[in-house]
Amino acid sequence: MLLKTSLRSFFAHKWRLVLSLLAVVLSVAFVAGTLVFYNTATSTFDKLFASTASDLAVSRAEDEIADGAPGRVPTIPVGTVAKVAAEPGVKAAIGQVMTSDATLVDPATNKVVGPTTGAPTLTGNWTDTPRNSVEITSGHAPQGADQLVLDADTAEKAHLGLGSKVRIITDANHDFTLSGIATFRTTNPGAALAFLDTATAQRVLLGTEAYTSVEVFGDGTRTNEQLKAAALADLGGDFQAKTAAEQKKENSDDVGSFLNFMKYAMLGFAVLAAGVGGFLIVNTFSMLVTQRTREIGLLRAIGGSRSQVNRSVLTEGLILGVLGSTLGIGAGLGLALGMIQLMKAVGMNLDASLEVTWTVPVVSYAVGVLVTLFAAFVPARRASRITPMAALLDHAAPVEPRANRIRTAVGSLVTAVGAVALVLAASSSGATGGLLIGLGVLATLVGAVVLGPLLVSGLLRLLGGALPALFGPAGRLAQRNVMRNPRRTGSTAAALMIGLAVVVGASVITSSMVSSATAQIEKSVGADYIVGGGRTPIPAAAAEAVERTPGVDHITRQKEVPAELTTPDGARTKTDLIAADPNFTRDFRLPVASGTAEGVFNGGLSVDQEFADAHHLKVGDPIAVAYGEGRTQTVPVAAVLATGNQLFDGSFFTGIGTVSTGLNGQLPGDSTLFAGASAGADEGAVLADLEKALESYPQLMVKDQAGYKDMIKSQVDQLLSMVYGLLGLTIVVAVLGVVNTLALSVIERTREIGLLRAIGLSRRQLRRVVRLESVVIALFGAVLGSALGLAWGVTARSVLADNGLNVLTVPTGTVVTVLVGSVVIGLFAALVPAFRAARMNVLAAIASD
Amino acid sequence: MTTAASAAHLSPLPEQDGTAARARQVTKAYGAGETRVTALDAVDVDIERGRFTAIMGPSGSGKSTLMHCLAGLDTVSEGRIWIGDTEITGLRDKQLTKLRRDKIGFIFQAFNLLPTLNAVENITLPMDIAGRKPDQAWLQQVIDTVGLSDRLKHRPGQLSGGQQQRVAVARALAARPEIIFGDEPTGNLDSRSGAEVLGFLRRSVDELGQTIVMVTHDPVAAGHADRVLFLADGAIVDEMHNPTADSVLTRMRRFDGKRTS
Repeated sequence: MLLKTSLRSFFAHKWRLVLSLLAVVLSVAFVAGTLVFYNTATSTFDKLFASTASDLAVSRAEDEIADGAPGRVPTIPVGTVAKVAAEPGVKAAIGQVMTSDATLVDPATNKVVGPTTGAPTLTGNWTDTPRNSVEITSGHAPQGADQLVLDADTAEKAHLGLGSKVRIITDANHDFTLSGIATFRTTNPGAALAFLDTATAQRVLLGTEAYTSVEVFGDGTRTNEQLKAAALADLGGDFQAKTAAEQKKENSDDVGSFLNFMKYAMLGFAVLAAGVGGFLIVNTFSMLVTQRTREIGLLRAIGGSRSQVNRSVLTEGLILGVLGSTLGIGAGLGLALGMIQLMKAVGMNLDASLEVTWTVPVVSYAVGVLVTLFAAFVPARRASRITPMAALLDHAAPVEPRANRIRTAVGSLVTAVGAVALVLAASSSGATGGLLIGLGVLATLVGAVVLGPLLVSGLLRLLGGALPALFGPAGRLAQRNVMRNPRRTGSTAAALMIGLAVVVGASVITSSMVSSATAQIEKSVGADYIVGGGRTPIPAAAAEAVERTPGVDHITRQKEVPAELTTPDGARTKTDLIAADPNFTRDFRLPVASGTAEGVFNGGLSVDQEFADAHHLKVGDPIAVAYGEGRTQTVPVAAVLATGNQLFDGSFFTGIGTVSTGLNGQLPGDSTLFAGASAGADEGAVLADLEKALESYPQLMVKDQAGYKDMIKSQVDQLLSMVYGLLGLTIVVAVLGVVNTLALSVIERTREIGLLRAIGLSRRQLRRVVRLESVVIALFGAVLGSALGLAWGVTARSVLADNGLNVLTVPTGTVVTVLVGSVVIGLFAALVPAFRAARMNVLAAIASD
Repeated sequence: MTTAASAAHLSPLPEQDGTAARARQVTKAYGAGETRVTALDAVDVDIERGRFTAIMGPSGSGKSTLMHCLAGLDTVSEGRIWIGDTEITGLRDKQLTKLRRDKIGFIFQAFNLLPTLNAVENITLPMDIAGRKPDQAWLQQVIDTVGLSDRLKHRPGQLSGGQQQRVAVARALAARPEIIFGDEPTGNLDSRSGAEVLGFLRRSVDELGQTIVMVTHDPVAAGHADRVLFLADGAIVDEMHNPTADSVLTRMRRFDGKRTS
């Protein structure tokens, strides 16, 4: 019986529930889409790894410290292949050369071939294994010193065909002719593959006759584990072996951590949008309950119990949630397809067949149904409190919420707690600061939501006079309508507030990041130019080209050397030492707290204050440095650096000479070059000359200080636009909320509108009333959101001051945009409701009940 | 007053001085063909200026439709209507709205007031909408007449039904419209409050020279008018001058009898 009334009621009010449904559908679609996309991406990679992994891969044993040094390619002797091949149960053992440290370039355009970010460019030797990931579809395998095979996707993207020239840049440039095109057997997620013949690969990529691994394929008589045990027993401790399963897991973990991050970021924003959608649903159900007061009173009068009334409203919420989630899952599949297309556009190919696991419906329904049930809870409780008397009252006036005093008290308390937490956070740092700011953000958010309705009345009473003054009678009507139900206005605005608060908060932090970095560069960087980029060290020839450029006074080479430091207190710290020329002190002003900067680059080492404090270090204390593969050295602390500068915090500087001794002269290539212009040189002209000198190294990038600052800004901006993009959904749902509130209140006020029209309010004036209401709600949300966002951003900035965010920049432009934007949002949201209000038939409106 | 069709419907002019509203051959029909329902059937009406006219008739007689058409709230199928010397049939919504705003006052049976505005704001609303400043002396006189001086800052929710209707009367009077239409203005009131409101309407005609047209089914209410028009089946079937409640009741009984016969 109850279900039937709920269903009837649900469908009777279907048009009033449309926007609520849409909000659920959107949020759930985002959740489902994210999950399906993640599953599909993971399975694409899994299939790739599963289909290409050998039964056993033998390579050089990992060195915990030395591995990961730029340009380092651990190799194994050629003889290993024969040794492994002789093992019982081995069908084939193939020596492989494979490195991701080479850059492919089209010499005709000097443009990089293959992906520049994300997926790797793998260069190696062409081998015939039982499980090749690619097959040659045109041309032939590489033979001789000048032939190269490229994968089809990469060749197509770079517009290369058979006979085209391809350059491989390692330490030097090597030119090849495209002799064949290879096509992936499975979906290629976006890596570029280039193959040379084995001898050439060894010469060009390794500089020695060796392999990077031996790929073993069994004959089926032994398990991979048995093969592994036998190989390791035979080869000894300098080698490691990974079974197919281990290779697959390792690869999947690499990809998985990136995809996981993306998944959780997107799910976080989807849940935020769902929460915002909750406000919309609360409003809808509250209005429906109010409109049905008499009906519910009648139900009670004829014997319906409170809990029945309560359940019937909740059941409607349940129907909404289930329906919305179901549609949302469908929309989510479409969204996942869209995301796959989007990834394709940025160079990541994924399987076109969607991977839908049981988690997709479970999580989607959980989000959709829980949000609607939670949102329907308060209206349902209010409905259950309607007395049978309501059926008899002629005009059941909406019950004024009596909880105002409690609301004020709770709201004020929570806001106060939040404010105190934020103030405390501002004067602390690190983990305490993080905890306090988390508490502060949460409490001020909840406080603002709870206090919203009171703030609406307060603010409108205070500033309300402006509306009639500016917009005449329409202004007054709008003002009164907005104030009529502060709770509704408050929650509609709160929905918008949440998204905009995050926008403003994120923008405060990012603009402070940019201005802090800029200030630090100005304060500490003397170098005029910086050369870097690529995933490989800077070729020696490129460094020489920079040094030879006219107008360049000096260059400073900087290398990154992985090492493990052991302080006198016995603690070990793994880090990348930053080794540079003594020239470094000309290009950078190190914030030396004690000791000398010169000492750092002449036989010493620098630590930052925090590290010094943690390990009770002072200038002169010895630090044991291990470089891996048994190479060690003791270096004294030559300087302690003050913290508070992103450029230097957490870094350990030392001289190239020092490191060279420690590494027995096996120095890695340069990771970054700095250059200073000669006195009197035209800095712009020198930059142009440098760009020209580095033309044939498209993987490298040369920037002057201004360009470097721009680059930092654009990187930060990219991050910010990602956040904005993800917040888009939340804001869309919030705008739907404004439309919903307006549309429902127009329906609710049908008779009033009829009366107004009868006594002479023109359609245009009526539209203006609705528009003004909408703008007031949106603007109110934007003002609250900006205030919250500023409070959060400013506090977070000061918590992070010790981490280098020492300059606060308030993005006035963003705040103004948010405020102006909210007016536009308000006008937009009012379009349909205003149109519908104006189109209402006057007579029908007057006669309506 | 004549209900007969005169030559007037052939020409919109000249306008007789004593007429506030006129209808000529007004027909209002809903639907078409078999299902066509005629609510008004070629009605001719002249509403005299400065007088209180009541329109009576049983349910479904078309009395509300006639009022709605006269007031420009509803469109007619055929025929022409004038308010003052302005023909309203054929006017677009914009002009009709302006006409209602400037020349017509309304008193409905219920839901006359905006709940968000207080009494005085409701009273001045039509002038607000028009962007006109109310004539303060006149406003004061109207407010005094309906006896609302001490309730001006109250919201409708804080007023009794009778007080609410008095605010509605004041609103209709305050803008000095050419004509006021009342749609069962006392229908929702107890007899004392109803008599009070009718008293104000009567006084506004006598003392302020207002023209009022009121639709009612209550003979007592009609008894306050100068003239009663009786409608049946979409046509004016009779009229009565200087009626009393009793005479109207008698006429209505006869009317019922005729209908049942």
